[in-house]
Amino acid sequence: MLQHGPLLERLLNGDFICKISNHDAYRHLSDEQTQQAINDYLRPLNRRLVSNEDRSVYFLAYHDLTLEAREHLSSQFALTVQSLLPVLEWMQLVQETLGRDSALTAGDTIKLQEFVLRTEDNQSLRHRLNALAADKFFNSQSDALDLQVKLIFRRLREHGYLLQPHNDRQYYVITGKVDYLIDIIRFIRDEEQLPVDDAPAQENLI
Amino acid sequence: MHTQQTIASNLYSIGAERLALLGKHHKILMQGYLEGFIDETALSDSALKKLMAARIVWRPSEQQPLMLRPLVSELIASMVSDENRRQVNADVAERLVQIRNRVQAYREAQHKGDYSVAELQLQRLTEQVHDLSGQFEEAIDSLWNRLNSDFGFVRSLNDKIRENERAQQQLRRLLDGLALLDFNELIELAEGNNHLRKLLVSQLQTQLSDHHGSLLEVQKRLIELLAKFRQQQSRSLLINNMVAYLRQHPAYSPADYPNRTPVPVLFNQAAPIKLQAAAALDRASDRQILAALVQQLPHQPKTLITEHQSANFSEVLVNEEIAAHQQALKQDVENFYLEVIDNSESVSALTYLKTQNLPWDGEIWLYQILADYQSLPRDEQKMFSLRNEETPASASNQLMLISDIHIRLRVF
Repeated sequence: MLQHGPLLERLLNGDFICKISNHDAYRHLSDEQTQQAINDYLRPLNRRLVSNEDRSVYFLAYHDLTLEAREHLSSQFALTVQSLLPVLEWMQLVQETLGRDSALTAGDTIKLQEFVLRTEDNQSLRHRLNALAADKFFNSQSDALDLQVKLIFRRLREHGYLLQPHNDRQYYVITGKVDYLIDIIRFIRDEEQLPVDDAPAQENLI
Repeated sequence: MHTQQTIASNLYSIGAERLALLGKHHKILMQGYLEGFIDETALSDSALKKLMAARIVWRPSEQQPLMLRPLVSELIASMVSDENRRQVNADVAERLVQIRNRVQAYREAQHKGDYSVAELQLQRLTEQVHDLSGQFEEAIDSLWNRLNSDFGFVRSLNDKIRENERAQQQLRRLLDGLALLDFNELIELAEGNNHLRKLLVSQLQTQLSDHHGSLLEVQKRLIELLAKFRQQQSRSLLINNMVAYLRQHPAYSPADYPNRTPVPVLFNQAAPIKLQAAAALDRASDRQILAALVQQLPHQPKTLITEHQSANFSEVLVNEEIAAHQQALKQDVENFYLEVIDNSESVSALTYLKTQNLPWDGEIWLYQILADYQSLPRDEQKMFSLRNEETPASASNQLMLISDIHIRLRVF
């Protein structure tokens, strides 16, 4: 257990552990014996280790749902719901701006400068970025593109969607927390039977 | 014998001459490969005639421009690994017939004691066996190439999915082709002849079983990649459709999942617990380390910080209300500096302002932070490192506008 000290600290801190955010820790967490040992350790703290369905991210959940736990989960959920549209719109915007042919996935890298340069030259992208930055999730007060983009990326880093490998270098890597967000959308969609399709039109399948 | 030599030397001179044509017109031909037709104005009439006679270029119909012959295009595609146009030839049956015929011709010549003919047939047979193996090698190289580039030679995800499916079809044809090779038959063909056995059995068999292994590996990877493509496709669709749905239904709010029993695991994200520790003096063994740490602390000034009156950027206090306001601002700035001292990392002034929900305007806040800093004695100023986030006012105005300040306690 001693060797997993730093990993436990990150988990307790509320971090999501994925292949991208911490490859070694993620490998350890994939081991059932380690999971068991961590759960035993966390039991008195009313925590347990959980993952999304395809086990691409691990995080801590409550063991017993006390009143306080429920309260925290409610406020956490409200934050997640609030972040849903802005984060998804940001994903669309990055994909379009950088001309990628598929949605952002864990491990993709984004160079801030490239993103700024391409947005600068395009009136419609610029307009969408403006609207996005002003969303209360990002809450930018500035009109300067550079500052807006920096704020957006910083907020997403704080929320664990992005990793900045070098503090002094402006490039970011998408973490597995994006998978978690997608899983949440799928879950809500299925549960509430929202008309949100994710299967390609039939002709494409043939 | 004599006529054969003449034919061979004729072939040699014609072939060499026509190959030279490829080199002589390489730029125009390559341009033709890329553009799909040959620029006839760039060539003289005689050059055009020579190229057509050499079956390098042709005119598919009267109205059409000159084009490269398919074989030449294929050759270029293979040379430059242009996966968009590279052909995969999976036809094994035809080659097998050729091999059988060659073996027969070789045996007949041997039977007649015509050793030079037999030698020639054996040489042709060897070439054909190599061609058969090379055909698979070329196909496998092309498949790996496409795999390793994640089908990067086409742009859209739909194209990638279609290309992947095409590659899988080619692969199935190659595997079917391999299945046509009956090694019992090859063993029979080679019976009683060392050369043939070596060529058809030991050499070809090893090569083909290698190819078979590679093909199965490529197949596995292609299927994995296709699954990944499909996953990406469905993720893109999900994101786009969800954004559309949320925009159309601004009042939508999801069910109260955190208060369900049981709570779905995705919504059970526990609150963070910060681990904290303080220096303990109960273990004698630690004392030396602690003493060293204490010595490293920056020297505390004898005078207290609060004794210094910091400058107010707006000196004139009109009435008590404004004075109270001013005092509250200074108090918040002081708390901010205390936070910096408690925190080992650099703290952003604006982020602090936001997270603490303080009522101050960002500009006033930054001013007061700078004012407080300026009012510190020199050696206390040195305890903090300030970094301004600033940009020029405009491209022509070098006046620097400060948008945020990051402050960190210097560790000595």
